[in-house]
Amino acid sequence: MLVSVFVTAVSLTLFWMAALTLWWQMHAWRTPETLAATRFDQPDGDAGCSFSLLVPARHEQAVLEHTVTRLLESSHGSFEILVIVGHDDPETTEVAEKVAAAAPYRVRVIVDTHEVKNKPKALNTALPQCRGEIVGVFDAEDQVHPELLAHVDHAFRSTGADVVQGGVQLINFHSSWYSLRNCLEYFFWFRSRLHLHALKGFIPLGGNTVFVRTAVLREAGGWDQQCLAEDCDLGVRLSSAGRRVVVAYDANMVTREETPGTLVSLLKQRTRWNQGFLQVYRKRDWTRLPTLGQRMLARYTLSTPFLQAFSGVVIPVNAAIAIFLDVPVGIAVVTFLPALTALVTFVFEVVGLHDFGKQYGLQVRLSHYAKLLVGGPFYQLLLAGAAIRAVWRESKGRSDWELTEHVGAHLTTREDVLQ
Amino acid sequence: MTATVPAAVPSAADPVRPSAAPVARFRRARPDLLVCAPLLAVILLVQGWNITAFPALSDDEGTYLSQAWAVQQGQGLAHYTYWYDHPPLGWIQLALVTWVPSAIAPPSMAVGSMRCVMLLVTAVSAVLLFVLARRLGLPRWAAALGMALFGLSPLSVVLQREIFLDNIAVMWMLLAFVLAASPSRHLWHHFGAGVAAATAVLSKETMLVVLPALLVTMWRHSHRDTRKFAVTGAVTACVLIGLCYPLYALLKGELWPGPGHVSLTDGILFQMRRTGSGSIFSAHSGAHAVLNSWLYYDRVLPLGGLAAVVLLLLTAYWSGTGRAVFGPVLAAALLAAVAMRPTGYLPAMYVIQALPFLALSLAGLAVAGTGLAERVARRVRRVAAARLLRWSAVGALGALTAAVVVPNWYDGDRSVETIDANAAYRSAALWMATKAGDPARTRVLVDDALWLDLVHQGYRPGTGVIWFYKADLDPAVSKTMPHGYRDIDYVVATPTVRRDAVNLPTVRAALDHSETVAAFGSGDNRIEIRRVPKEADGHPRVPQSPNSSRKDG
Repeated sequence: MLVSVFVTAVSLTLFWMAALTLWWQMHAWRTPETLAATRFDQPDGDAGCSFSLLVPARHEQAVLEHTVTRLLESSHGSFEILVIVGHDDPETTEVAEKVAAAAPYRVRVIVDTHEVKNKPKALNTALPQCRGEIVGVFDAEDQVHPELLAHVDHAFRSTGADVVQGGVQLINFHSSWYSLRNCLEYFFWFRSRLHLHALKGFIPLGGNTVFVRTAVLREAGGWDQQCLAEDCDLGVRLSSAGRRVVVAYDANMVTREETPGTLVSLLKQRTRWNQGFLQVYRKRDWTRLPTLGQRMLARYTLSTPFLQAFSGVVIPVNAAIAIFLDVPVGIAVVTFLPALTALVTFVFEVVGLHDFGKQYGLQVRLSHYAKLLVGGPFYQLLLAGAAIRAVWRESKGRSDWELTEHVGAHLTTREDVLQ
Repeated sequence: MTATVPAAVPSAADPVRPSAAPVARFRRARPDLLVCAPLLAVILLVQGWNITAFPALSDDEGTYLSQAWAVQQGQGLAHYTYWYDHPPLGWIQLALVTWVPSAIAPPSMAVGSMRCVMLLVTAVSAVLLFVLARRLGLPRWAAALGMALFGLSPLSVVLQREIFLDNIAVMWMLLAFVLAASPSRHLWHHFGAGVAAATAVLSKETMLVVLPALLVTMWRHSHRDTRKFAVTGAVTACVLIGLCYPLYALLKGELWPGPGHVSLTDGILFQMRRTGSGSIFSAHSGAHAVLNSWLYYDRVLPLGGLAAVVLLLLTAYWSGTGRAVFGPVLAAALLAAVAMRPTGYLPAMYVIQALPFLALSLAGLAVAGTGLAERVARRVRRVAAARLLRWSAVGALGALTAAVVVPNWYDGDRSVETIDANAAYRSAALWMATKAGDPARTRVLVDDALWLDLVHQGYRPGTGVIWFYKADLDPAVSKTMPHGYRDIDYVVATPTVRRDAVNLPTVRAALDHSETVAAFGSGDNRIEIRRVPKEADGHPRVPQSPNSSRKDG
């Protein structure tokens, strides 16, 4: 009897969590109108805003030039690029100086002299130097579409927003089994889930292709230098302050990125994010959100990595109990509810992968679908591992920055994909 | 305050919007309510009046309601071994709906009185049909026409009064169609359509036939940009929910056949191998008799509806209305095609599943007809003449319909409202309650329709009051009858018992070796209460202790 009650309670909780997550994940495809609303509006040709684009670069000499050159191809008329390099990183500085010399009125090099370096410190170093009305952040390995700024400009002017978050998409889905899942995660997050967050008024921003009005950013005190997820934190603080955030996603205008090169670096990256989410949760800025619904959404979203880890471990255990222990058949059927939801999620992921392939003109083969399904449980394990690691590190007070390195090998890979 | 970018203009490619905004909010659409509510009242009045007395209590109604009773009693899915004859969701729903009344007044859990529950089912189905018609883009009068055809045809009135799983399945399938035709084309509406469809199939498995038509409807009513998610979601939902049934069997170790237990496979094989009732086109077949029994009550809906189906299918390419109602028309066509197959078994209640789709087809044909008249009228230059032409077309159609339908239905519905077909049943139940001796120590063979009445009178369910065929077919029951028919005290010989006894040795022996002590009614429909004489041949009856060998709880 006690086992039955326990199993039912666990199953229903898991079911509710999985169903809620699925519901949010599928936000963009609810109706054709919702999907249409996730896109950028066509710009009207006017250029109203000026941009300061921040590109923090640390040991990224291999990719930096390519990124800045591409940024310079932007069709927008009014922007400057601030490349931020470390004082202890001569290789990257050399590349930065080179591109700055090639376009002296567009590109400036800012040197970050902090003893211990991280991305928020670099960004904060550059913030006082920004001359544009809008600050945009890109990573050194980003591929930015030349039309993006014009669209963002239009979005700022037509909506009166304080923040515009553009899409970021990992593209190299064919590299490995986990990159496939990683790409799809980004797809669902930027294509769909973030729009729901914008709608509900609570949004953890992404790390790049994010644009904020300079004045708003300065008023908010820039980025939190102690936080491992400074992007998420900024979003939470801005939404808690009632700032208007707009999200737009166009497949041909997303910023393209690469997945971490190894499983270990993915694990480290995910650990950092999880730990960052945990830090943001503990900072409790989100408690200033006006409505209970928003606060619940914040609570749930910021603790998602841990719920995910928990459910990833508990779902199989629960199913095993249902099969191997002698529980009444009715209860056993209830224990399958979370698994059913997981199956529905799987199917939607398959369809998502198909849509991803269509949107980006990539050929998704049968083997990729197979990898997607087979890799699912292992990816869950990875996520669970990262979540547990994050909790452990946070409890030990270890919050050093485990940087994901970009060695440049991805550039050719990415070019291959883009062709 | 945050928001997404304001909606861009929805994609120009917007192939299917037969139903525009007007029905998006049915609840708030006052004119729709004003049409639908009175019509619903009329349908409920016609269907509810005399519901307990006509038609005659059917064996199947007794089966399902008894199994619902077993669910309420916590005895599992049936009070005899559940042998996967049908998926159980239908009577599980019955059990839920009748839970409160049967808890308050246990004797109300009998076929006659619980037919009232079917009024609820019919009401929901009728409203769903109206909503579906509106969502498919039919005008209000046509939606009302469809609803009236569905709810007031004498054939509907007779069949929808009965506690048949098909009626419950129809309700869910209509809900699935309504959700599939959601004007907002919402992902989760389509997902819900899949869930509703699975519920329909698990209520009555023959609903499987209709699923392709549902898929077509959903395809037409989804948007190109979101279709792959919506349709895949719906199919997934339907399949996953549907798989819960085999999963249940698997968990019970009853998926595959094996010695000493029932199995889902056996159940399916039984249904597939049921003795065929022949072709409906051969005059002497069982299927033809079933067809005639439908046509006896109404020809308009089955035959007129079928004609409408054929016409609409043929003209779907040219007719906008034909395309709008294509899904339901296809459903009716599929059901008709299955009914017309040369071999196989045609159940008497089969037509129930087709009724809403036939009604919608007729309504669609009426719209297409007036649309044609209107187009002809537009060619006439003079406005007055055009208007005259159009309204005379509508008038002629109305008059024709009235001339064909009204006398036919008036006669049909009048007999339905006045005849008492169940007096004999009630008398037999009363006799068993008062004159048969101590119920706790008496064993009776009855048909399923009377079973619950006798349970309420104190007979032991399962082995005291016995579904007559279980005496031969269920080892758990025959085990309690070591002396065969001699262990029986009474047989309540209804027409069903007499008909089926031919193939049931114990029941036949009990009938042969018993004498009539009371008879109610006359002719083929009479009900005889027959007593098996005791100790006439030197075999003293072995007393059975209560619940001596109930197999399945």
